[in-house]
This record gives sequence, structure tokens and C-alpha cells, in this order.
Amino acid sequence: MRKFKKIAAVAVAAAMTLSLAACGSKTGTPSTTEKQDVTLTMWGAEEDQKMLQGMIDSFIAKYGDKANFNIQLGVESESTAKDVVLTDIEAAADVYAFASDQLPDLVNAGALLCIDDMDGALKSYAGKGVADVKAANASGSVDAASYNNKFYAFPMSADNGYFLYYDSKLVSAEDIKTWDSLLAAAGKAGKKVGMTFASGWYNASFFYGAGFTTGLNADGTTTIDFNGKSADGYTGVQVTKSMINIAANPAFMAIADGDISNQIAGGKLCAVVSGTWDATAAQAAFGDGYAATKLPTYTLEGKQVQQGSVAGFKLVGVNAYSKNAGWAALLAEWITNEENQKIRFTEREIGPSNIAAASSDAVAANIAISALAEQSAYGVVQLVGGKFWDPTATFGKSITDGKLKADDEAGIQKALDEMVTGVTSPVE
Amino acid sequence: MKKKTIQIITHNLLLLVLAIIWLIPILWLVVTSFSSYPGINTSTFFPKEWSIINYKKLLFSADSVAQFPNWFKNTFIIAVFTCIISTCFVLMVAYATSCMRFKMRKPLMNLAVIINLFPGILSMIAVYFILKTLGLTNNHLGLILVYSASSGLGYLIAKGFFDTVPASLREAAYLDGATEFDIFLKIVMPMSRPIIVYTIISSFMVPWMDFVYAKIILNSGISSQWTVAIGLFNMLEKSLINNYFTQFCAGGVLVSIPISILFFIMQKFYVEGITGGAVKG
Amino acid sequence: MGKVKAGFHAFFKSIGGFFKDFGEAVVKGDLFVKLSLLWVGAGYARRKQFIKAILVTIIQVAVIAYTFGFAPEYVSKFATLGTVQQESVFNLQTMKNEFNDYDHSFLILLISVISFVIWFAWLLFYIRNTTAVYELQKRAKEGLHINTFIEDCKELLNQKFHITLLFLPVLGVIIFTIIPLLILILVAFTNYDQQHMPPSSLFTWTGLTNFINLFGGGGITVTFGYAFVRILAWTLVWAFFSTATTYIGGILLSLLINNKKTKAPKIWRLLFVITIAVPQFVSLLLVRNFFADGGIVNTFCANIGLTGWLRDIGLISTSYIPFLTAPIWAHIMIIFINIWVGVPYQMLIATGVLMNIPAEQLESARIDGANPRQIFWHITMPYMLFVTGPSLVTDFVKNINNFNVIYLLTANFFVTANQAMANSQAKETDLLVTWLFTLTQDYYNYKMASAIGIVVFVICSLFTLVAFNQMIKGDREEMFQ
Repeated sequence: MRKFKKIAAVAVAAAMTLSLAACGSKTGTPSTTEKQDVTLTMWGAEEDQKMLQGMIDSFIAKYGDKANFNIQLGVESESTAKDVVLTDIEAAADVYAFASDQLPDLVNAGALLCIDDMDGALKSYAGKGVADVKAANASGSVDAASYNNKFYAFPMSADNGYFLYYDSKLVSAEDIKTWDSLLAAAGKAGKKVGMTFASGWYNASFFYGAGFTTGLNADGTTTIDFNGKSADGYTGVQVTKSMINIAANPAFMAIADGDISNQIAGGKLCAVVSGTWDATAAQAAFGDGYAATKLPTYTLEGKQVQQGSVAGFKLVGVNAYSKNAGWAALLAEWITNEENQKIRFTEREIGPSNIAAASSDAVAANIAISALAEQSAYGVVQLVGGKFWDPTATFGKSITDGKLKADDEAGIQKALDEMVTGVTSPVE
Repeated sequence: MKKKTIQIITHNLLLLVLAIIWLIPILWLVVTSFSSYPGINTSTFFPKEWSIINYKKLLFSADSVAQFPNWFKNTFIIAVFTCIISTCFVLMVAYATSCMRFKMRKPLMNLAVIINLFPGILSMIAVYFILKTLGLTNNHLGLILVYSASSGLGYLIAKGFFDTVPASLREAAYLDGATEFDIFLKIVMPMSRPIIVYTIISSFMVPWMDFVYAKIILNSGISSQWTVAIGLFNMLEKSLINNYFTQFCAGGVLVSIPISILFFIMQKFYVEGITGGAVKG
Repeated sequence: MGKVKAGFHAFFKSIGGFFKDFGEAVVKGDLFVKLSLLWVGAGYARRKQFIKAILVTIIQVAVIAYTFGFAPEYVSKFATLGTVQQESVFNLQTMKNEFNDYDHSFLILLISVISFVIWFAWLLFYIRNTTAVYELQKRAKEGLHINTFIEDCKELLNQKFHITLLFLPVLGVIIFTIIPLLILILVAFTNYDQQHMPPSSLFTWTGLTNFINLFGGGGITVTFGYAFVRILAWTLVWAFFSTATTYIGGILLSLLINNKKTKAPKIWRLLFVITIAVPQFVSLLLVRNFFADGGIVNTFCANIGLTGWLRDIGLISTSYIPFLTAPIWAHIMIIFINIWVGVPYQMLIATGVLMNIPAEQLESARIDGANPRQIFWHITMPYMLFVTGPSLVTDFVKNINNFNVIYLLTANFFVTANQAMANSQAKETDLLVTWLFTLTQDYYNYKMASAIGIVVFVICSLFTLVAFNQMIKGDREEMFQ
């Protein structure tokens, strides 16, 4: 009996892996007999509600003859979508927007529909397949929406990255080339340069610049090599020492995660590392001097190394438990197509991930978005698991707290090792 | 005589200093709510420019982020029903455990003590799924049930109060042929105004303060369904805080005004209620 | 201890009696009593209590319908918590995903626990019913009066009024507190975590693994044990200080306000009470911004040179005072801020209690020439302790589980610099409750959160047991006679 159970368990497990591997779909042509009633819910950011309602209206105008739609719009910030969705996936919206760093967790929990399966639906109704969607969007955004070689969400915007805002009245275009000159100029002006160190999203930029990598295994655990040697031949200890030197400069201000806009408005800064969401705050604070550009280089073992960054995106996904998966996918495609990405830019100044939408003159003229585009050449798609964040935040904090000393190489190595242990620990 | 006057002055001055310490954050809340700059003010205590725009926006021009009138209405309705149910439950349990004698009395009271030792926050996810099975998520009734259904567990203070009601009164009523129900309604209740007020105030406040359960139960993202607490809490999202922080403060002020008034009027009863209960614990 | 033992004894005795009565009813009951073992209404019908017979029959039918109609689908899978993984196939014809009949582990657990509770309640009802019917038989034999339905109802408002009073409140507690707790206790023995989250995955029983991991046994890579010990220590320190400071602060403040020298005490009291009226999520978040690294207080301290002085004497190494962002500073600040939050409540309680101090005691002490300080230590304090002792214990337990203050002051704000803590998703300022909240909300680690929850319970109950016993042992009565 016991043996039988074991065999059964193995068989079940095998069936499970098979079913997981094959996210297949039935083929066939859509029926044209009868108009279905389709009820959908969609979540988007608070600030976007009016714009999204317009997109829903245009969606209904376009597809209204194929089905009777009843689409309800709800509020859920892209930055917290994962928390709400994962509490109860079945109760979450059919279509929801989220920041790309949440993708691995959402996929592992089975909360996202595999878009590859929707190829047929997209082709028969929207007239374009998954390949067309991928081709229309920047390759980075497609990478960020893919996991284990499957495509899970539609790229909506390419604005979730950071670069340097500065006040051109106080620091010159020459000063902003390196951290050393930037900090020196800031010191002279009696102002500060701000950056968040206590977050793995920001502080990994120094490591990425030096050729270090992070990645994700199929089981959801994170890989990270910050405690070893990078492809460019630098060690993690050397990078950390550079970071400590920057943080120790009196003109440097370590800003808590989430406090950046507040500090920009506070008026003590002449330059700050942040993203497009702070454009208005920076504009207000720097006035005529408002300018933005790629991140500076930093001194690493006597050489100047370009600081990397995280190329983040906002994505729109379809709930795997949606009652109307096909139409939900079409809605998600619709609100992220070229047309609507253009609307998003004109109404809310959100940088498009769609290549055609991004190439317009208006986008190029936008100071913040063009700075982001400039930095994106050094951007890395940061696909990491949930265990990445706490240890890396702590690592950054121990630098700015002065807990790690530049001359204590063994201490730095130990901190790096501990961080890596935490980041790579198994998912529970 | 003069020495006494000085003593009185120093005494009241000491109170004044303490009161100022206690009120500084509240004062900051009030003055910030009158600031015309929407973000957090870090450099000065008082706003650079005064304005009532936050209140105007909050009360008269609801947008998708701030729907204060709706939230206020929702919370008020939830609070009224929570308050009615909780008050009934608390008084019922307190009367049964204090004035009546039955076999299961002691075991039930011990069980209540034990249950109160568990961290309640842990069971949130299970409560959510129970409500979902009953079809009560995204529903104000569900929230009312969450706030009031277990309120019987908080009966101890009320029980302590009932314990102080002289048993002779009840015995006299029995001899006159009154039933337990009559005694409960016509003798004990009229004497218990303080504890009723105390229970009403404390249960009325719950929906205004809770942001954990409300957030998980009202999870459809329809912001007009929210309560004041989650609506205001939501304004502190990273992407919103710089445009809504002062409205958040204004909302906080608006919520605390009715509660303060309630407190001021009911102060005497509140103190008597809480005391009567604490005396016997 | 003797009292507790007696309590247990009485408890088991009453259980024994319960079953003994049942046995007697079954053996000595007449045909209808025996028939009511099958149809619970039989005995009542025989004694012409037809309405009652119908009511209990309805209950019986409902329970049977539930037991055979609804429960088996879930309860039968309780042993495994489900085996069928969710699968879906997209159907282009209907534009819908078609799902297999998959198992939802959490629902299985939930419905099973609800079923067990219902069956347990049914069992009690069933036994009670049988003895009641037998009771009726005996009354009939002796020719005593048998209640009509109206009389039964009247009894519910009189001798049995407690049943009427307690029915709904107890039902509420069972559904919204006891069942959730039972479920979460069971979760501590499963592997319900991010890798095993329903509905897409299944979770199953794992025995004591989580507790072994929590206490550092077994080959785990994360430092749960390390974090647990530190958080537990801070939780106890916090609970002690927060209880003691607000308690004493409340007494002192109420003495101050109720002093004869105070002008307009009502107004003073209100000024302090306003802090209660502002919801904590508003006031505490404000206070947190107040003391932020770049907040007003820091700007002020830097301007008057306090920050520089503190750096000179080596208390801080940063360009700001880390009020809420460095462990020791944050610990002290949190306790101070909690004084701000908690003292007004305690002041109200103390005000009430102090009013009740027997006036003649104070008078005679004054006549004996005691000064105010002596009166405070020898009369006021002992009286306060006597009266509010038990509530002090419950306050301590409440503070162990004080979620609001810690969460609102530190969540998304305090970043630990201790790598080992961070690797377990903990930070120095966490209480056990806030830690388990983070574990469930951000990391979906329900199994560890439940295990921690059980440990919190054990600690609280040990403390309560010891404290109450001490209080019962002490000669509390004598003090004020």
C-alpha cells in the first residue's frame, strides 16, 4: 500500500511538471455565432484613472461588436499590486499593471497568464501576434516581461529607472561627468548630492557598472556574484570601497528609500539620483536650472567606471484565474499599444516602451525621459526574487551608517558574503 | 497666601508644559493641514503659505485618489452598526457572566482569557477566507462583522462595572416577580449609563482607526467603497505622498474633530465606566 | 496553584457528569428516548412538544445535509490537503481558460476546520438533547408539569436567560476568532509558503519542521533562530517598559490634574485626551516624519548645534540624529513615543480609580502627619496596584502584541544594518507580531508566521499564569481592610 502511494505520488509529481512545462492551448477558430457577455475588472494607478477610463472606452468602441463588455476600473498602485494580488489571486482584477520587479513572484505564484497562449486570440481579434508585440517594444522591456523564456505581460512604459537630476546653475555639464567632480562642485556650492543607498534597486547600480550580475533561477531563488570577481576583473570589495568613499564625502546625502521627492523639495540638494516620477519635484526645486542626464562615472581602483542602473518597466498582466482570459489579454494589449502609450506620454509624461511611440520628437524633447534613455544604455534588467531586497538594503545602510570602513577589507568581504547568503537563500 | 499663589502658578505652568509637549504633534497636524504646499514640510514648523485648499479639495472636489465624503459616509455607517452590535454583545456577555450563575460560566471566562492571548493579526488571512466563503468580501457588512462579531471577548470592563451593582437590588426585583430579562433591561441597564457610553465610544472608534483589516477585505480597488482609514493611508503611497500629504493631514483633523467632541461631552461617563470596570478587573 | 488545580478538577468532573447522564439516558430511556438517538425530535414529539420537535429536526436535517452534501468534498482531503494541481487550457472558441477540477489546500483546511467545529457542536447538542428527552420522560412518569413551547421561550428570558444572552456573541467569537485561530495553528504544521501558495500550488503537512527551524535546528540557511532570539528579547523589554512607563505616567498625570491647585481640570484632561481622538495611523505617521532623518526635529537640532555636539562626543556618526533609524535610538524613541500615545488612556483610568480611594484613609494619614510623598507611596500606589493589578497583566500581554505603534513607526522606514537580521526579513525594532506580519504580507511565509504566533501565545500564557498566581497568592485582601 505504502509503495503504491509512493508511486502514485511520483506519477502525480510527473504529471504536475509536465502540465507546468506545457502551457499549451487548444487550437481552433473563434466562434462567430453569438455575442458573449464579458465582465472584466482592471486595476491601474490612482493618478491614471481618468486616462485609463478613456482607454477602456476606446477599447469598447473598437471591440463592442464582438462581445457585450462590462469593464470596471479599480485603483491599485503599480508598486503594490503584487501584495494585493498574491493575498487572493482569484479575487484580483483580470487585468492589472505592476512594476517589472514583481514579475518573478507573480509568475511563481501562478498569478500571471502566459501570454504565449494568447497568441491565437490576439491574432484573430487584434490582428497581431505575440511576436508582433515583442517586436514593437524595446528589447529590455520584453526581457523584463519574460521569465523562463515565456512571455508573461505586456510592456506599458519604460520609465521605471533612474538617472541624475541636477541644477545647472550650480553644477556645470563638466562637473556631472564623474562623482568626484560632482561632489566637489556640490561642496563648493554648499549643497549636497543625494542618492538612496539603502535599497538594492539603487545600490546595485555600482556593481552592475563594474560588470557584476544578478539573476533568477527557475525555482525562484536569486543568483548574485557581488562577493566575488566580476567579468571586468573587479572585486566586490573594490566596488564597496568606492561606494564608501562616495558616501563618506560630506557633500553626499544618503536618502531613505521613498524620501527622495521630499528631500528634493527640501532644497538642500543640487543633484539627485531619481526617476521620472520626481520630474515635477525636481523642476519645482531647480527652477531654470532644471536639467537631467545619465549617471556619472565613479572611481574604481583609480579608473573611471560608468555607473550602471536598473532598467525597470511597468507591465500589464492578465490574471491567470480570469474568467475571460482571452478578452482580458486583448484589453491588456489595447491599453499598452502604440496609440495608448502615446496618450500616456502626452497626458502623464510617462516614457513609452513602444519603440515607435518613443521615437517621437516630443519624447526626445522631454528632459527627464531623454536622460533615462541616455542612461538605459547602461541599464540592466534586474530579475531577482523576493529575498534580494532586505539583505541588499541592509548592505547599503551599513555603508552609509559608517559601519563598513574602506580600510577594513576583511570586514567588507564578510558583509558581502553575508549579503549573498541572504539573497541566495531558498524561497519559503 | 502669596506662597500658595506661586505654587498654583507653578503647578499650572507644569501642566501647561506637559500639555504643549502632548499637543505639538497635533498642532503640527493642524497647521500642516492648512499649508498650500502639498508635500511634507521638513524645514519649518509652520507652513510658509497658509490656505484652506486642502479642506476644499477634500470636501468638495473628490478625485479618484481622494473621495473623502464617500469614505466618511462609509465609515460612519460601518461605525454606527459596529457600535450597535458591539455594545449589545459586550453588555449581554457582561451581564451573563456578572449577574447570572450557570455551569459553563467559569470555563467560558477562562476560554476568553486564553483566546485573548493569541496575536489576532495572525488570523487575518483566515478571516478573509471565511468572509469570502460567505460572500462578504468587498462588502461593508463583512467589515461590520469583522469589527463587531468577536466584540464579546472585550466584556471584562463591563463585567467589572456590573459587579458593582448591588446584588440586593436584583434580589428585591426577583421577589417582586421580575424575570432576568426585566432586571437586565429595567434595573441594571438604567444604572449603567457610564459603561454603555464607554462601550459605545470605544466601539465607534474602531472603524475609524483600522487600516489593516479594511485594506484586506475591501480589495476590489474600487476607491469609493473604502473607509476613511484606508483612503487616507493610501495617500501616503510613494507616488502620491508629495501631492497629498497635506490633504492626508486635513483628513486626519476632520476625523478627530467628531471624536474629540464626543469625548468632551462624554468625559465623565467614560471615566466612570472605565473605572467601574477596572476596579474588579 | 491550588485554585487552578481545583478548576481543572471541576472541569473534568463536569465533563464526566455530562457523559454519565448521557449513558444513563440511553440505558434507562424508553422507546422514544432511544428513537431520539436516530431522530432527535422523537422524544419531544412524544411529550407533545411539537414545535420543539420540528426545530430540532430542522437542525438535524441541516447538519445531515451539510455533512453529506458539502463537507465530504473537502474533509476527505484533509489528510493530504489536496493532490490535484491546477491546470488550465485556453479555448479560443469561447475565449476562456478551462480549468481542471483542482484542489485548493487552504479551502480544504478551512472547510475541514469549520466542519470539525460544526460536528463537535452537533455532538454536544446531540448528547444534551438525549439527556433532556430522558429528563422529560422522568417528569412525565412522576406526573410533573411539562413545559409548553411558550413556557420554554419564557424560560429563555428568565432562568435560562444566559443562553439567550450568550448565543450570538459566542457564535461570533467562534466564527471570527476561534475558527481562524484553529486554522492558523494548523498552518504551523504545514509548508504553506511562497513556494506552496494556493490556488496555483498545493501545500501539505510537514509535522514539526517549522518549529525545529525556528529554534535553529535542522539544516536551514536563513538565520531564523538568531533573529527570533533578538526579537523576543526586544519584545519583552518593550512590553515591560511600555507597560511600566505609561502606567506610572498615567498615575502621575492624573494626580497632577486632580490636584486642588489645578484650575479647570476638565479642560486640561481634554487637551491630553485629544491625542486619543486622532487616529494612530495619522498621529504616529506624523510623529515619524517629525523625527525623520531629514525631518523638522533634525533640522532644528542641527541649527542649534545639538547634532554637531552629539557627533563630537561620539554618540552618532551620521550628519543627522538617527532618531528612528538606528537600533538603540529607535528603541528609546519608540518607548518615548509610546508614552505620548499611552499615558492619556492610563490617565483616564487612574483618574477614575483615584476618585474611589476611601477619603477617610487619606484623611487619617494626613492627621498622622504624613507628607504627600508618603501618602503616595503608602496609600495611593498600593491602592492603585490593588485595583488595577489584573489589568496591568492584560496590558503587558497587549503590549507584547502591540502592532500599531511599532508598525506605524518603523515599517518601510527603519532599515536594519544587521545582515543576519535582514536575511530573516527581520529588523531590530520588530516585535514578534510585526515580524510575523511582514512574513505574511511581504513574503507569504505563513508557516513560519504561524509557528511564531504559537510561540507568542505560549509566552503570553506562561506569563499570565505566573502573574495571576502571584496575585492570588499575595495577601491582596488584607491590604485594604
